[in-house]
Amino acid sequence: MADPKNPRFTDQQLAEVRRLQGLYPDKRGALLPVLHLAQDTFGYISLEIEAYVGTLFDLSPAHVHEVVTFYTMYFQQPKGRHVVAVCHNLSCHLMGAKDIIEHCKTTLGVEPGETTADGKVTLLTVECLCACEQAPMMQVDDRYEGLLTTDKVDRILGGLA
Amino acid sequence: MAEKILSKNFDSRDAHTLAGYRQTGGYRGWDKAKGMEPAAITEEVKKSNLRGLGGAGFPTGVKWGFIPKGSTAPKYLVVNADEGEPGTFKDRYILERDPHALIEGMLIAARAIDSRLGFVYIRGEYVQPWRIFGAAVKEAYDAGLLGASVPGGGFDIVIHRGAGAYICGEETGLISSLEGKKGWPKVKPPFPAVKGAFGQPTIVNNVETLVCLQHIITRGGEWFAGLGTKTQGGTRLYSVSGHVARPGVIEAPVSVTLRQLIYEHCGGIRGGRRLKAVVPGGSSAAILTPDEIDIPMDVDGPKSKGSMIGSAGVIVMDDTVSIPDALMVVARFYAHESCGQCTPCRESTGWIYKMTHRIVEGKGRKEDLDNILDVAKRGAGTTICAFYDGAVGPYISYIEKFREEFEALIRSGAHA
Amino acid sequence: MPKLTINGKEIEVPAGTNLIEAARAAGAEVPHYCYHPGLSIAGQCRLCMVDIDKVPRPQIACNTQVAEGMVVHTETDRVKDTRRSIMEFHLINHPLDCPVCDQAGECWLQIYYMKHGLYDPRMTDEKVHKPKAVPLGPHVMLDAERCILCSRCVRFCDEITGTGELGIFQRGDHSEIGLFPGTALDNNYSGNVIDICPVGALTDRDFRFQVRVWYLDTAKSVCSGCARGCNVEIHTSKQRPHHNQGKRIARLKPRYNAEVNQWWLCDIGRYGFRWIDDDSRLTAPAVKTDGPAVETTWDEALAAVAGALGRYRPEEIGVLASPQMSNEDLWALRRLLDGLGVANRDFAVPPREPGEDDKLLLRADRNPNTRGATLLGLGPGPGGLDAGGILDAAAQKKVKCLWVLHHELTASGFAAARVNGALAGAETLIFQGTNAGLTSARAAVVLPSAAYAETDGTFTNFQGRVQRFRPAVTPLGEAQPDWRVFGQLAARLPKLTAAGDAALGAERPDQVFAALAAGVPAFAGLSYRGLGDAGQMVKA
Repeated sequence: MADPKNPRFTDQQLAEVRRLQGLYPDKRGALLPVLHLAQDTFGYISLEIEAYVGTLFDLSPAHVHEVVTFYTMYFQQPKGRHVVAVCHNLSCHLMGAKDIIEHCKTTLGVEPGETTADGKVTLLTVECLCACEQAPMMQVDDRYEGLLTTDKVDRILGGLA
Repeated sequence: MAEKILSKNFDSRDAHTLAGYRQTGGYRGWDKAKGMEPAAITEEVKKSNLRGLGGAGFPTGVKWGFIPKGSTAPKYLVVNADEGEPGTFKDRYILERDPHALIEGMLIAARAIDSRLGFVYIRGEYVQPWRIFGAAVKEAYDAGLLGASVPGGGFDIVIHRGAGAYICGEETGLISSLEGKKGWPKVKPPFPAVKGAFGQPTIVNNVETLVCLQHIITRGGEWFAGLGTKTQGGTRLYSVSGHVARPGVIEAPVSVTLRQLIYEHCGGIRGGRRLKAVVPGGSSAAILTPDEIDIPMDVDGPKSKGSMIGSAGVIVMDDTVSIPDALMVVARFYAHESCGQCTPCRESTGWIYKMTHRIVEGKGRKEDLDNILDVAKRGAGTTICAFYDGAVGPYISYIEKFREEFEALIRSGAHA
Repeated sequence: MPKLTINGKEIEVPAGTNLIEAARAAGAEVPHYCYHPGLSIAGQCRLCMVDIDKVPRPQIACNTQVAEGMVVHTETDRVKDTRRSIMEFHLINHPLDCPVCDQAGECWLQIYYMKHGLYDPRMTDEKVHKPKAVPLGPHVMLDAERCILCSRCVRFCDEITGTGELGIFQRGDHSEIGLFPGTALDNNYSGNVIDICPVGALTDRDFRFQVRVWYLDTAKSVCSGCARGCNVEIHTSKQRPHHNQGKRIARLKPRYNAEVNQWWLCDIGRYGFRWIDDDSRLTAPAVKTDGPAVETTWDEALAAVAGALGRYRPEEIGVLASPQMSNEDLWALRRLLDGLGVANRDFAVPPREPGEDDKLLLRADRNPNTRGATLLGLGPGPGGLDAGGILDAAAQKKVKCLWVLHHELTASGFAAARVNGALAGAETLIFQGTNAGLTSARAAVVLPSAAYAETDGTFTNFQGRVQRFRPAVTPLGEAQPDWRVFGQLAARLPKLTAAGDAALGAERPDQVFAALAAGVPAFAGLSYRGLGDAGQMVKA
């Protein structure tokens, strides 16, 4: 398993990094995609990974750190096997997001921003995911789940391995 | 029922594939455009009165014309697929259900502005749309619709995923993010058409705006203009959500009124309740009261009531809603999404959220309302980008139009 | 060049000038934080708003370039009200640290609030809290709460030093200046971020809590740390001698000079002034009779030196002058030595560790006046020995009188044995300098020199620029400027008194300079007045 404390991309991944860098007029444009690649590989973005990625871009670690801390999708601490991100913006709020969030907190036993003790789920509250027609809704890993009721939430959370 | 133009493929099972797309008449707009002079394409778009459909509503043909004439610099077409305006979801529909329509629109626009390289900036959370659009791009490459064989020197598309920041929907914030930096909007001048992504002339267009192009080319700019109002042509996709019976994406000519959208297209207020307030153009638009909804939903209609059409994200609130509570949610959003670059926005979005939060927690003070209003008015127009003005819209309109409700909450000391 | 009108006054400035600079040329100060003429435009603080005719809203002046016929107003009611608004935004989360903040008295939040704010604060919610008193490196202390996020420091580390240590992390009102964890702000220019930080977010660890800035006096001077001669201000705490731990000099700040150092100063120079107030300063002449040298009067010490100079033949005298000495010191010495016929003289003592150019300001040559010493002919005279030769001759007792000026020979690049041999071999060892050391300890006569900060004078930098330094403090104890001592010696040497040399007879340093300008073609036409604050080039 790739070690976030001692990060190295494989040769194949480094080739992908170079390919991505070549798509942009300035290779720095590939920083966000490469950070996504790093997060997919190592599970989250450690400081060591930031410094390592910096070397691939001739960027000081401080400037990589700026990018990682600016965007909400880069996790700076290990996250759960699943990320459950419940929208708490206006349309979802109007359609009962508050109850959905309370239910998730009680069911999972964590506050938003925390990960369950068994490492299964990280619960987040997030801003508009632009699926308001399905409000209240949440993002579970890669997919959107909408028209939520507490029952539907139970089924979804129960189905997470 | 008006003809479906932009949304005609939304309910199809396979229009997201090249074969399915072609069957519905796809790429005929590009077939015609690739034989046109770039200037002729721009002329047609100017005639169509097409306005940017991402939020700013700027005339598209005029925007293209800002690229310096005779410039030999590489020009970039950047697609703003960083849909993030609360209440808006129509671009997601296009990416998932009609991705080739975006590719076709990009080819037409690229020809008009002499671009060989297009970037599609998709918000990071849109994973399924990214995969579907990516598959469509691959199909297009395999069919020779993209790449070196595109007439005029070839055209490539680079798909770039965001990583979670609403401010990357602002065109220069998007450009900064595309360049591998924080999504900090850029001071203007220089404007993107002169010096944009990677220092080169750049046009940033919204997804839906580009999807309009094939229809303008095949059926004419005048036809498109005729569908709409005096200042804006065509139909557009309205995202309607909140307390309506049937939320969803509604296509209608831009002359449609807000009342028609709510009551005719979306089944009126759910559960037999009454309308209390409605946001016409995404959360950045000033709120409207029930007596203000007989306006056309074009670039001028909501403006006549002190609001804006923005991204056409319609959020409907019934009489169960606490407006102070709604404002707190919106204020929380702006405080969270402020990029932090310039002082008025960075400092006051956080402070104003604290005040709205105190109000809904029953700890409001009587001077809070005037403080919020005064601070918002002092900050409006002083910032690097329009994000803060988008925050000011709700700050001021929610309080001014529902002041009594705020004051009662502050007096009572109850939770909202 | 575009002509425009600012506050009713028509001016003409080069194309590309921004409105902050144009306003300044028209005599109007536009308040600003993030703008700095030496850095890229950020446009973040929003304070520099001005009104422009035909433009509906106020515009930031830093990012607006002059245009022909532009009409600008910097003091309309709307501009003033906008400034008041922007000041309020800046202070929303700013901590009330003034009583404990070093920046007080030179803080641009204070200054602009008093000038452009003066509103009643109404922010009564909890302010955002961030790390305080965080050492970023050996010289810089960060208080992230005080930071107004103008990004000057970030841009400095990117654009001037190219080291990129600093960043602005997170977003919104949780944005925070900082280092990548585990790194330090330890480049050789770290002190500059303290200068450019408008507030007390980045402060000097060296200066922390030492003395309030309103007690400081200032003198224009030049750094003596290398051959560039960066222009500086010396700030002294003479008004509160018991503050600053009793030391007179509190800090150095760079002074702008477009040709030499622009706005910047390296850390070696900035923090290299402690020797001036160090306990090792020589404050009284000393003469050795039996045993170690004993403090005595100038009269006795001068008599001893004059006696030695008179007693020995010219070829028995060896003089190690120093490129730490001013042009005035060196010229007066040259006149003295020429008058005596002493050809064994040199100024080039190699350093133990060769310095390195850092491609920015710092020069490999860590002496302020090598060029001056060269131009003024302090190298060996006809048939004379160079520095190494002088040392060897002293060891062999061929040079009997060894006069060392300023050099700590035991710390030089000369081998220890060679130095020891010279110091032991010389019959009469004279040391003239500012600080005691191993060489002075062995001297028969010790003459205390005033430091450059204690007198008027000039250095010639590596470019050939002659630059004035002004006295910041008076000479410590009985120390005197070297040129004055040479004149006093000359008065005791009959051959030289008769000659009546202008440099040696001078009572003021500008007279010495006038003499050297008359006597050395490279300096022809230069004068203290002409040198002004920015210096002048020697003739090619």
